[in-house]
Amino acid sequence: MIPIETHDLTKYYGSLCAVDHLNLEVGNEIFGLLGPNGSGKTTTVLMLTTLLRPTEGSALVCGHDVAREAQEVRKSISYVPQDMAVDIKLTGRENVTLFAKLYGISRRDETIDRVLGMMDLSSRADDLVRTYSGGMRRRLELAQALVHEPKVLFLDEPTIGLDVAARRKIWEHISTLKSRGMTIFVTTHYMDEADHSCDRVAILDHGRVVAVDSPSRLEGHIAKDIISARISGKYPETLPEGVEFLGERDGETALFSSEHGSEMVPILFRWLEEQGAIVHSLSVREPTLDDIFLALVGTRDEGSGFDDHKFRTMLRRR
Amino acid sequence: MRDVIYYFERDFLRWIRGKLSVVSALVMPAAWLIFVGLALPTTFTTNYIDFITPGIMVLTMVGASLQGGSLLIFDKILGFLNKFLALPSPRESILFGKILFITTRGLLQATVILVLAFLLGAALFPPGGLLLTYAILAVFGILLSSFSTTIALSLSDHDAYAAFTAMISMPLFFSSSALMPYDVMPTWLRFFAYINPVSYAIDSIRALQSGMIAWSRMAELVLLSILVVGISIHQFRKVTV
Repeated sequence: MIPIETHDLTKYYGSLCAVDHLNLEVGNEIFGLLGPNGSGKTTTVLMLTTLLRPTEGSALVCGHDVAREAQEVRKSISYVPQDMAVDIKLTGRENVTLFAKLYGISRRDETIDRVLGMMDLSSRADDLVRTYSGGMRRRLELAQALVHEPKVLFLDEPTIGLDVAARRKIWEHISTLKSRGMTIFVTTHYMDEADHSCDRVAILDHGRVVAVDSPSRLEGHIAKDIISARISGKYPETLPEGVEFLGERDGETALFSSEHGSEMVPILFRWLEEQGAIVHSLSVREPTLDDIFLALVGTRDEGSGFDDHKFRTMLRRR
Repeated sequence: MRDVIYYFERDFLRWIRGKLSVVSALVMPAAWLIFVGLALPTTFTTNYIDFITPGIMVLTMVGASLQGGSLLIFDKILGFLNKFLALPSPRESILFGKILFITTRGLLQATVILVLAFLLGAALFPPGGLLLTYAILAVFGILLSSFSTTIALSLSDHDAYAAFTAMISMPLFFSSSALMPYDVMPTWLRFFAYINPVSYAIDSIRALQSGMIAWSRMAELVLLSILVVGISIHQFRKVTV
């Protein structure tokens, strides 16, 4: 059975289209939904978890329609929203116990000990959650979500607000869950995390899917080197042959792509200086998911689908 | 229906672990009784404490219920509600859990008033009357906590909910029969006081003080409660975020 499939899944808020004819098929994998804020990630998750009714189209989770068989869907899934909703006046164990009771778990105590152990919380299980770190609270939410052994786990921004070590730990746990046969549908806007951990990702922009593939294959689409440049002063009107402007990051780094990055660096350097720009640094590296994202989402108001031509546009206007 | 108990347990544990909120919940009704019951100059009765006790008990249920609605607002703002709504457990259990907790807390507060009123010299209820008083307070608590929780479900933030309670709590109280009997009210107030649900409960309890049963007032209270709880269940079942 296919864990998640959507057919023209669409959600309008009034006249605003939040999710636009989404067609996805998610297998037994870690599937990442990426996109900038407001691109429709959370709306998609809310529809798949039966909390929001689609305006058009349909979605099946474990073979059940999210609108007509909501109850069946709720039995097969767990949902961890991005808010970190755990009761700080209760202990970790009490937080998990509530969910074990609500899910009607048999052999409750055993299950609670097991999920707390899986999330490395056994030693702190009887402390008030008030004393937990952000990473521990997030793991506690995962423990709550695991009590009924869901087939599909929905995680909305599971690492938001956590430090690097805590993030890594969460992803390790997510990978372990997948190896136990769980399907994980995760939204994030941390590209590096998706790059390392997701089997496949879909990039969402304005409610539309602009690319779906494994991170490495998406990166292969560029099949070029990335030249990252810190430039100030006047930006060039044109670029040398074989160099394309990808976008800019953090307001000061311009990204270019080229088939032969290393050979292009001196040419690009001279070109930029001749055009009146001041070059502070230039470096060449392999493309990352971040670059793909910038290339796809950085360019607005164009058709969907992966398209190398998009990379060419967008000379910075200053 | 066991889920109702589980949701109740959660709210109850969270409440008793915030010690200040427990103290505040028990001191506030006592303050009302002492300041309103003993300090207001009245001419229509020589024993105002007897007269005002039912009013203050019902008022306490009003306060408890309106305050209780904010529990759902916070569950909503903090993301708990989304998690609960995604559970296979029936959604009305969330509502019933809140009603159970809010009403129980209200009844505990009403008990403080009752004990204090007796200590201050109010006449004792006959045992049957006392039991029925609790039943009336419970039904009234169910009515109002169901109402406030469902309003909270439809509002998006705490400010809106605070505005809602501020808007209805004072009129609800002052246009009821809590502070004075109908015959000393201005004529225009009499009508509003009579149709005010707060008065249904107060009049029902006052009748018990004199050994009578106000069947029609109790029936009005029960019917309105069934209606409101019915609407609330419907709202919880169909809610989307």
